[in-house]
Amino acid sequence: MTERYTMNEIANTAALREPCVPGLFSEEEGARLHGARCTCCNTPYFPRVATCRNPSCDESRIVPCTFGGEGKLWSYSVADFPPPPPHRYDQPFVPYAIGVVDLDSGLRVVGQMVDPAEAMQVGARVRLVIEPIHHGDGKAFTSWKFKLL
Amino acid sequence: MHRFGKTGDAIVGEKSVTELCRHAVDMAMKDAGVSWKQVQAVSAASSRFSGGKGWGLNGNDIVEDFGCTGIPVYNLSAGCAAGGNAFNIGYSLVAGGIHDLVLVVGGEVMPKGMIQTSGVADANDPEYLRQRCIGMPGPAFWATLARRRMFDYGTTEEQMAKVTVKARKCSESNPFARFQKAVSLDEVLASPYVSNPLRLFEICPVSNGAAAAVICSKEMARRFTSKPITVATSAVATIGFDDALPRSLAGPVPSGPSFHTEAKSAVLKAFERSGIGPRDISFTELQDNTCYYELAFPEEWGLCEPGEAERLLEAGETAPSGRMPINPSGGFVSFGEATTAMGVFQIAELTWQLRGQAGGRQVPDAKVGLAQTNGLGGNATAAILKR
Ligand SMILES: [Zn+2]
Repeated sequence: MTERYTMNEIANTAALREPCVPGLFSEEEGARLHGARCTCCNTPYFPRVATCRNPSCDESRIVPCTFGGEGKLWSYSVADFPPPPPHRYDQPFVPYAIGVVDLDSGLRVVGQMVDPAEAMQVGARVRLVIEPIHHGDGKAFTSWKFKLL
Repeated sequence: MHRFGKTGDAIVGEKSVTELCRHAVDMAMKDAGVSWKQVQAVSAASSRFSGGKGWGLNGNDIVEDFGCTGIPVYNLSAGCAAGGNAFNIGYSLVAGGIHDLVLVVGGEVMPKGMIQTSGVADANDPEYLRQRCIGMPGPAFWATLARRRMFDYGTTEEQMAKVTVKARKCSESNPFARFQKAVSLDEVLASPYVSNPLRLFEICPVSNGAAAAVICSKEMARRFTSKPITVATSAVATIGFDDALPRSLAGPVPSGPSFHTEAKSAVLKAFERSGIGPRDISFTELQDNTCYYELAFPEEWGLCEPGEAERLLEAGETAPSGRMPINPSGGFVSFGEATTAMGVFQIAELTWQLRGQAGGRQVPDAKVGLAQTNGLGGNATAAILKR
């Protein structure tokens, strides 16, 4: 964190937001995960793959595509203790919920939940968002998360 | 077997993995009445976290330690399923007529705390991405499954805690368990959440320990004993494409419930190959990294009906004296996990149970035992032993 910005200002200033791993997701045109789909068997993939991994697919035909939008919470857990590296988090550590979400587009994705653990309910409707997971060097490092609707 | 413990404690102290394995191998050979010179090959669960020569192994260190007789050594890697894999290779070598007598060994000195990824920032490694982008350690994966079971079957936190109470009761009479003290339901429920809904006493910690077994041909066994324990079968499997569990970052939404496909596949293969069915099993040693597995696995393998496990647990049917005994040894929850030792530790427990040597945790009239392990990377093993 720099002295010129508060944590919230950093998080809300696009130029200071940086993906925690480049190339996996973007937020310029709404929250999107950069994945792929096999046009032969319709299997969705995230992250991207080189070839289709479905053993009953006749011919691997992978095309890049993105995933986002809404889905349903299949289940969730809580990180009650700070996870070991390479995870990074802001001090002091605040426990967060981790959701497994079935996106309407057919992809089951794991991600942190924006809302507190007490608010979670299996089956709840959620939306993919891009949010900071930790701050440092005057930047907000982002990842994909899910927000309860 | 070397009793399980934690680095620095009175049980394992600062012992190296080779020292732990030496103790276990000595004990196994003495038990079998076998001398080192009679061992024709070693099948080792290759250490994941410790071991000599800088790249983690057990087999070569053991041979060096006992004397270089020039025998072949197989070092197997399969995460927590490595011990089961080593047993499978040992069994296959004997069953296939390649060797008459094989030593199987697994042991580990574990790093402290939650198991970490390799530490290399590799954007092509899904495990790195999962930890960097989400922060989802092992217990959170298990907690997700436990939460889903609570939704599907109405399982309560009390019921999950009762699995630990049962397990720790068994451990009281197991001289090899790290924890040998029973715990009350209140004590389990008072332990802090590691990953809600799972609590500290419901999740296996990491431990140091070692286990070994001797496998030989039927003809050779007659030289050593009139009552050998028979390996009915041993099977290995990996995960299926239709597996529904969130192991990586994402996958296709599955069309139905298909959980732990590697474990189910290994166990069903073992049933099929041996002609032994779930109803013939006297007791099971399964991989209970957390209490959830003692509820889910028996249902997935047909040992009982889906959604029935909680009722059986509460009726005492999963205790050693019940109709479906699960983990009479006390399980991973009482031992802690010394990754590569686990599959072999289960074989030792099966053997003692089938011989009627298990003392206070003995399954009455145990005739057939089932052992199962799961390992990172989608590995699983199953073995069926009978007397
Ligand atoms: Zn395909």
